Amino acid sequence: MRISTGTIFDLGVQSMGRQTQTLLEIQQQISANRRILVPSDDPIASARVLELTQADNLNAQYGTNAKNAGNRLGLTESVLGQAVGLLQNARELAVQAGNGSLAPDDRRSIAGSIRALREELLSLANSSDGEGNYLFSGYQTSVRPFTATPAGIQYNGDDGERLLQISSQRSIGVSASGADAFMRVRQGNGYFVVAADPDNAGSVTYTPGSVVDAIALTGNDYRIEFTVTPSPTGDIVTYDVINTTTSATVLAGQAYEPGQAIVFDGMQVVLEGTPANTDAITVTPSGRQDLFATLDRLAVALETASEGEAGRAALTNFLTDALVNLDQGIDSVTALQAVFGSRMRESENAVDGSEVAGIQYRAHISELQDLDYAKAYSDLIRAQTNLQAAQQTFVQTSRLSIFDYI
Amino acid sequence: MATGIFGIGITGLQAAQAGLVTAGHNIANANTPGFSRQQVVQANAQPQSSGLGFIGTGTQVVTVRRMFSEFLNLEMLNAGTQSAELDTYYAQMRQIDNLLADPTAGLSPALQDFFSAVQDVAAFPNVSSSRQALIAAATALQSRLRTLDGRLTELRDGVNQDLATTSEAVTTYARQIADLNQRIIVARNAAGGQPPNDLMDQRDQMVAELNQLVRVSVIVQDDGAYNVFIGSGQPLVAGTLAFGVEAMRDPLNPTAMTLGYRSPAGLTALPEASISGGRLGGLLAFRSQSLDPAQNALGRVAIALAQTFNAQHALGQDLHGNLGTDFFAVGDPQVTHPTSNGGTAQISASFAADAASALTTSNYRLTYDGVNYTLLRLSDHTQQTFATLPQTVDGFTLTLDSGTPAIGDSFLIRPTAAGASTLDVLVTDPARIAAAAPIRTGQGAGNIGTGVVSAGTVDSLDPNLQQPVTITFTGPNTFNVTGAGTGNPTGLTYVPGQDISFNGWTLQITGSPVAGDTFSVGPNTGGTGDSRNALRLAGLQTEKLMMGGTASYQTAYASLVSEVASKTRELEVTSAAQATIHQQARTARESFSGVNLDEEAANLIRYQQAYQAAGKVLAIASTLFDTLLEIGR
Repeated sequence: MRISTGTIFDLGVQSMGRQTQTLLEIQQQISANRRILVPSDDPIASARVLELTQADNLNAQYGTNAKNAGNRLGLTESVLGQAVGLLQNARELAVQAGNGSLAPDDRRSIAGSIRALREELLSLANSSDGEGNYLFSGYQTSVRPFTATPAGIQYNGDDGERLLQISSQRSIGVSASGADAFMRVRQGNGYFVVAADPDNAGSVTYTPGSVVDAIALTGNDYRIEFTVTPSPTGDIVTYDVINTTTSATVLAGQAYEPGQAIVFDGMQVVLEGTPANTDAITVTPSGRQDLFATLDRLAVALETASEGEAGRAALTNFLTDALVNLDQGIDSVTALQAVFGSRMRESENAVDGSEVAGIQYRAHISELQDLDYAKAYSDLIRAQTNLQAAQQTFVQTSRLSIFDYI
Repeated sequence: MATGIFGIGITGLQAAQAGLVTAGHNIANANTPGFSRQQVVQANAQPQSSGLGFIGTGTQVVTVRRMFSEFLNLEMLNAGTQSAELDTYYAQMRQIDNLLADPTAGLSPALQDFFSAVQDVAAFPNVSSSRQALIAAATALQSRLRTLDGRLTELRDGVNQDLATTSEAVTTYARQIADLNQRIIVARNAAGGQPPNDLMDQRDQMVAELNQLVRVSVIVQDDGAYNVFIGSGQPLVAGTLAFGVEAMRDPLNPTAMTLGYRSPAGLTALPEASISGGRLGGLLAFRSQSLDPAQNALGRVAIALAQTFNAQHALGQDLHGNLGTDFFAVGDPQVTHPTSNGGTAQISASFAADAASALTTSNYRLTYDGVNYTLLRLSDHTQQTFATLPQTVDGFTLTLDSGTPAIGDSFLIRPTAAGASTLDVLVTDPARIAAAAPIRTGQGAGNIGTGVVSAGTVDSLDPNLQQPVTITFTGPNTFNVTGAGTGNPTGLTYVPGQDISFNGWTLQITGSPVAGDTFSVGPNTGGTGDSRNALRLAGLQTEKLMMGGTASYQTAYASLVSEVASKTRELEVTSAAQATIHQQARTARESFSGVNLDEEAANLIRYQQAYQAAGKVLAIASTLFDTLLEIGR
């Protein structure tokens, strides 16, 4: 084919230009340490990198949230731990107060200690975090959750649970409602409450009772009514168990034996002491107690306990109530503390998980856009060689001219 | 006899001289663009008849012809105009390619910072510095969108500018070609029909350069003049007459510049689809195929963000205890009323409730045929016909505000074009960020059962949303609801975990409540530590809210980046391929028409020798003449 002289120059210059461009691109890649300099270098990877970067940032955010969650959970958990200790102190004091040999002054002094514990519990319940947010006021972080009123301690917060998102699918609660922690604790044994009729004249005392058959529970109110029939051989004491909700008599005319279990509708109650005629014991489904009020009532009972058999029985019953209620309090606060403990572990796991995921995201991003140095250097050398070859051949071919010989 | 040999010698000398001059001309023009090498066409002269037969009378130069192939030249023009179009398109695309995905200047980092700030508010809802940071991040996002949109607008202005200067150049070429037509006709006539090769080369070069600006077609007239046509057959050059093109306002879209054809009848817009090839083709293709969709896609992200964020923000409660107000503002779809419309109809458009998911990146044209409206989606030319307005299509609602349309009226609707440039942050008071939910639930202090109520979610803005409502159980499986707006239903059946919805909220109760247990819903007064709504706002980041519920904001943006990058990549490859094709076509043309200096050197030697030989003929003729003279002495 006929080749015009211009074409020889054009093609030579063009091929050198192409080689120079390749060389420059590789040089830019090496100096930026990126394989993708502009998105069009690899459109799919570029879009993927954008998505992965968002995922990485989001993941880092979740990690930060999880750390924050861990801190807040830790704070609440430790406050709850202190509250448990405090309730245990109160329980020990209540046990101590049951010692029959105590003088009224001793009981008053115990009552004083219990009041002090109540104040301490109040200040724990009003704890706030480093930013002045109350821990136990629900959503209303700037409202003091527990305040004293003439009617007792009042809860001003709400049932809201503050949340932090620690992973794409999980928001973790980082606060507890003060009502749940301190104001809505179960009474009695958790199922039912045994109480003495306030008009009782005898010395019947009771234990908190227990559930023997959960399926048989009815949730109704009951009354164990005593009938004392005098007889020459001693008083004959019998009792009836009446379901006051349905007015049905569950057990009738049963002989009363102190210390013997009375079992009805899945419940078992053990009574001691000697009842007077028409004395009664009530059994009602377990309601809710306010731990501050429980401590208050305990203190008041210790201060005002009267002597005498009936008075002592009343105090014994009262202490039984107080102990079982404090046990419920300890259980419930401990359970809450355990929830917070496990959430702390979950948030720690989330922190670790976020770190691992972050490494993976960054590795993936790097794989997509970073440069393989070994390959880049070998490309660089090849491009250099190509350029040199193009230059040399261009010089040599363009030098050939017949005019040199004319 | 002697005259004969003299004559022959002279014709030889003349022919050799013509050959030498032509070779010299070729050498001199070896680097002239568009030059076609010339060749002396020699033929033996008419022989003289004698009794002995025909005796040659020497040689003659018939013509000087240029080595020019119509076919190869056309190949080169076609390849060249397409190459110029792709080069222009590619050069423009490269500018937006890197702009959108830049790790610091792109939209992604601003979008991520914004949602990180939302997360921060969710973590610290009552810390004013985190609220302040959210407003700052929102403002940064707004300015980033505006900057990106501004860059795209600059490119659009650049295209408009370029259209103007390029069309001026096209007009200039048209005049020059018409002028060359004139000179070629005159020269040819003056030379008795001999071709004015160099003028023709110049004209072909002009046509080639014009083709670099826009694809034109050429028809050769009988008198050798070129007729040049542009667009769908509008004459740019007709013999010695030149017409022109000018950049003008698009009559159908007064905000854009388009190409107008200037003829004695006036200025008329050339349909954009008819302009292809060259720089103009590249600019128009870039604008309609890449720039508009890119700007629309950016706008769509802004609109979807504003709409969905506002909707969720409105379901929250700010630090003052008020319901959330619009967080962002974004401009309505743009409707352009061409001045050519005969009717008085004023059409407006607004975003529909499903805009975030339904909007496309296309523009639309609404036309009226006297009975029906036809809405044409310009990206894929699907159309819908309806008899009345308002109508909701693809996430926007068209409304006839006033007047009546005339037959043939058309309206251009650009739903998302202004999205990115009009996004505004309306919440400037940190306290007005609605991080909390407006309601909260609670359970009665004396509840006996184990029922637990969920925190509740707000689904819609009901006027009674924050009215106190009490749910009272009348048995383990039945409950009553009391409170304004609920209708106080009684005896509802309790199923643990089932949604209970009234007044725009939904909650679930689980566990075993007993008769007398109560659960309450009420206003979230003082709920400054609540961040439920902030969490839901943060959740929008990854929710698939766009493109028919298949893409998050980030995915929608990434698909824009990927589309632009793929197009750039495609253009990089095709423009390189087309450049190679162009180069090959040029090499083919050059191999026929181009000058080879070695060849010309050989020609020089050939014609030099011919000249010397012809000189020798004259010398011998001279000796012959001397011999005769000596005889006569």
